[in-house]
Amino acid sequence: MATPTLDSPVKQIQIEGLVVLKMIKHYQEEGQGSEVVQGVLLGLVVEDRLEITNCFPFPQHTEDDADFDEVQYQMEMMRSLRHVNIDHLHVGWYQSTYYGSFVSRALLDSQFSYQHAIEESVVLIYDPIKTAQGSLSLKAYRLTPKLMEICKEKDFSAEGLKKAMIGFEHMFEEVPIVIKNSHLINVLMWELEEKCTVADKHELLNLSSSNHLEKSLQLLMDRVDDMSQDIVKYNTYSRNLSKQQQQKHQYIQRRQQENAQRQTRGETPLPEEDVSKMFKPPQPPPRMDTLLIAGQINNYCQNVKEFTSQNLGKLFMAEALQGHNS
Amino acid sequence: MSRFFATGSDSESESSSSADEITPKAPGATFTKQSLLLSDDEEDTKRVVRSAKDKRFEELTNLIKTIRNAMKIRDMSKCLEEFEQLCRAFLKSKTIVDKEGVPPFYIRLLADLEDYLNQLWEDKEGKKKMNKNNAKALSTLRQKIRKYNRDYETEITSYKEVRLFTTTQNGSSSDSDEVPGAKSFLKKKPAAEVAAPPPDASKFLKAAADKEASSSSDEDDEDWDSDTAESGSGSEDEEGKNASMAQIFLKKPGSEAERHTSEKKKEDRKKRHRRKERLEEEAEEEAQEEGEGEWEKVKGGVPLVKMFAKGTEINTTVVVKKLNEILQARGKKGTDRAAQIELLHALANISNENNLGEGILVKIKFNIIASLYDYNPNLAAFMKADMWKTCLDCIDELLDILFNNNNIFIGENIAEDSENLAITDSQPFRVRGCILTLVERMDEEFTKIMQNTDPHSQEYVDNLKDEGRVCGIIDRLLGYLETKGSTEEVCRVYLRRIMHTYYKFDYKAHRRALGLQGETKSEQDAEESEGEDSAFIMDRLCKFIYAKDRTDRIRTCAILCHIYHHALHSRWYQARDLMLMSHLQDNIQHADPPVQILYNRTMVQLGICAFRQGMIKDAHNALLDIQSSGRAKELLGQGLLMRNMQERNAEQEKIEKRRQVPFHMHINLELLECVYLVSAMLLEIPYMAAHEFDARRRMISKQFHHQLRVGERQPLLGPPESMREHVVAASKSMKMGDWRTCHSFIINEKMNSKVWDLFPETQCVCINTPLVQLSLTLNEMFELELPTVHSIISKMIINEELMASLDQPTQTVVMHRTEPTSLQNMALQLAEKLGGLVENNERIFDLKQGVYGGYFNRGYRLVIITRSQIPADW
Repeated sequence: MATPTLDSPVKQIQIEGLVVLKMIKHYQEEGQGSEVVQGVLLGLVVEDRLEITNCFPFPQHTEDDADFDEVQYQMEMMRSLRHVNIDHLHVGWYQSTYYGSFVSRALLDSQFSYQHAIEESVVLIYDPIKTAQGSLSLKAYRLTPKLMEICKEKDFSAEGLKKAMIGFEHMFEEVPIVIKNSHLINVLMWELEEKCTVADKHELLNLSSSNHLEKSLQLLMDRVDDMSQDIVKYNTYSRNLSKQQQQKHQYIQRRQQENAQRQTRGETPLPEEDVSKMFKPPQPPPRMDTLLIAGQINNYCQNVKEFTSQNLGKLFMAEALQGHNS
Repeated sequence: MSRFFATGSDSESESSSSADEITPKAPGATFTKQSLLLSDDEEDTKRVVRSAKDKRFEELTNLIKTIRNAMKIRDMSKCLEEFEQLCRAFLKSKTIVDKEGVPPFYIRLLADLEDYLNQLWEDKEGKKKMNKNNAKALSTLRQKIRKYNRDYETEITSYKEVRLFTTTQNGSSSDSDEVPGAKSFLKKKPAAEVAAPPPDASKFLKAAADKEASSSSDEDDEDWDSDTAESGSGSEDEEGKNASMAQIFLKKPGSEAERHTSEKKKEDRKKRHRRKERLEEEAEEEAQEEGEGEWEKVKGGVPLVKMFAKGTEINTTVVVKKLNEILQARGKKGTDRAAQIELLHALANISNENNLGEGILVKIKFNIIASLYDYNPNLAAFMKADMWKTCLDCIDELLDILFNNNNIFIGENIAEDSENLAITDSQPFRVRGCILTLVERMDEEFTKIMQNTDPHSQEYVDNLKDEGRVCGIIDRLLGYLETKGSTEEVCRVYLRRIMHTYYKFDYKAHRRALGLQGETKSEQDAEESEGEDSAFIMDRLCKFIYAKDRTDRIRTCAILCHIYHHALHSRWYQARDLMLMSHLQDNIQHADPPVQILYNRTMVQLGICAFRQGMIKDAHNALLDIQSSGRAKELLGQGLLMRNMQERNAEQEKIEKRRQVPFHMHINLELLECVYLVSAMLLEIPYMAAHEFDARRRMISKQFHHQLRVGERQPLLGPPESMREHVVAASKSMKMGDWRTCHSFIINEKMNSKVWDLFPETQCVCINTPLVQLSLTLNEMFELELPTVHSIISKMIINEELMASLDQPTQTVVMHRTEPTSLQNMALQLAEKLGGLVENNERIFDLKQGVYGGYFNRGYRLVIITRSQIPADW
């Protein structure tokens, strides 16, 4: 999804191990199933590198405490953190995801407002399910400048998007992530690895169940349905539009003919300005959602591809091993 | 003269109220009064006994008064309201009425009200002016009273006759300034009646306060009563005159009527006698009663046309002339149809007495029957029982005559003037008329009677007993026409016969078929000699019609009836073949509604037959159309559905009502639905099991699914009560492969009571289901013999329903799971959806290009892999 050349101020992200662990912990404590947890990232920008050094979660708020002031809470939190000498600059936010479904209008809007206010801010997407299977999945995304512009203008019509030359692949840019730990921690890690028994490593060849794939497919299918609907909507719209255009055209022609006749008879021509009033163009359906869905579908496809390629690799490996044994 | 009527009602109400006046306030002021009035003392007890009647009657009269007032001011809604109350009150006083006879003032009101309403109805202008409420009330009231008056027809007609008679008398002879006609009645009566109440009311008020006033009012009352008595006696005199006058008119035909009336009178007298003992003190009322008895006598004295002058020699021509004279009145507005029938009867008697020969008799009989049919002006109304009896008798007699005299030719095409009615030795009689039409009409009347009788009453059973007679008549006619009639006529009469046969189950033949092995030879012979099978009859009649009939309708009906009959007797293959050969399915929608109803009935019967034979699929298909519409009742002509009024008006409703099938021919709807649901279940559950993973499961039966859903939605599952619940419960257990519970759910006592004794085949279908799901320990589970299981499984393997192989030595089935996994299924679905997506997308593109269908023309096509294309071991 990421474009190879980044034209944004942030070219790399460096995350403290602490942040990663905190995020994982947050999800494990509060997130369940398809529920999503969110939090604030803190850190600072060094040259073209964004260093994320700490984070704190947004509290899960339910219906009954609607009057909970989130801004107030964040300010409090940041002040408190500052008191204990932790970076207190807001540099973005993080969000967990359920089978990679995160490309949504809500994400777009909040990331836009973040990026609008704080230019270098990013969104970290953490996939707990993949992580649970053994490979940490953490991605950082930013909106592309093009998308930023469109969002600023709030012009989501087909023409606007076309003019901006934006497709689903140009909506987000992925920023590479580096996880950095203090040297002490690295030492500890090494030590732990030494102690690790071989048995645990056998897991590597374990074919993960198809459950994951099924879920992904299910979600993918849902999105495809949505997409179809959108397309049908757009289809009707464009058909209506063309029909109306035709009517309008006919009307104008008739009016012109009439006027010509009137002129020959020496009467005053009829006014022509009421055409646009008579034919109100149908409301064009917003295309942004479609774009987002396309992005999401792309995302799912990537996921599935990744997953299957891994599994296929394992299968071939196993086959090779078997052939070797026998 | 009209005064008589007016006062009649008044005196009645008056006397009752005067008697009443004491009873209600007995505990109060009257006690003191009674101590003073010694003479009253002993009466008191008697009055208490009578009080029930009086109270009722007073209630009635009060209501009547209000009605009359409302009539005067044309307040229809008020009128309607009061009338309903009156009906209720009258119903309440039923016991008394039974004892005393219908009170004349009540009848009077009914008659007047009807006349008044009719008058209003005719008055289009006035109706327009009426406000909406009133107009509505008018129409409802009119309908109501019409219906209501039917029960009191004789009384009302007698009343009307008298009134008519007397008014004409008045109008012509007397110099009174009354204008004859109903209007004057209407005006007069209420006026007279209104005059009565004031003293009454004041009485009530005052009597409680002071006794003197009450006693004076009592006197007042008595005055009034004597007054009425006088008027009554006066009227009696006149009445007597009238009667004698009528008798002069009557001469011949009156004899019977007179006997009738005298009998009635005697009865009246007897009744009155009894009453007399009780009501000795009310002599004046007695006199009035006398008057009443007197005018009842006039009933016979309908203004009949004089039959023949005294000295005329009665011969054929005279009788024919007379007959024509009578017939000319037919259909005219003022004609009294009952009287006409009487006249015709009389004429028949005359011709019989004078030995004018069968020709004329036949002719008269024809006309009697025709006028019997004409009696009801309304097409929707049905014959009354006595009329019906006479009609049947007449037809029977007519047939007798026709059978006994071979030399009578009848036919529609014989012209009036070429008729030969006189007795001549050389020439046969030629009479115009069509016996077949008469019988057909009779049959229709019979249907009408059955339609209009409450099917759950004894009356219906009684009426149904006439069916035998109807059939007998048709049979006789059949015999007659077979020798004399044209093929067309024979076809028609055959169809009638078929119509009366096809829906009856031939128990005799059935028993014979069953008992063929068990019974001894001689018994069989005896039974066989009793009569031919209905199947055989049907076959013969229908084949004749197939061969000879030229009108399509009769043949269609015959085919349908034939199929129905086959189906009813479980001859599935014959029924089906006939149905398929007839190609009726293609053009039945062009037929008229009765034929369509017949078609529906046949289809349903066919479905039930298939079910009985274990052809579940056929049963389901046959019943699907009828059941899925949800209007089975209507489609089978077994009742109207409640629908919005705007969807059909009263006229349509009447037509639809006429189409209804009589109750004894009904197909049990519950049985029908049950059969349908069970067959749907037997099809659907295996299907559901087999196609569990299909993306888009097709429903075999929507209704069944609906029932299932309803069953699932129930928060609390009790033991099944209704038929539907049984089926749902059964299908649930069937889903679990629990054959035995399923069976017991469907066949148990509750269901048995619902005509459910035709079910041998559940087992083998049932087994299919669970087989697909699981395949263990088959024999124990289904209690089937090993070979049976073996054969079923083999069949399934051959049909590729079951991917498995039989392992003979261990007696197990080895299942090869080849169902695509859910993941594969999902992938397939996804592919399908993507195909749709692409197509939609292309359409947008096309729109932009302005070329429709361009995508498919461009040569590359997205290939969607459907399930069938996937190899089994994918």
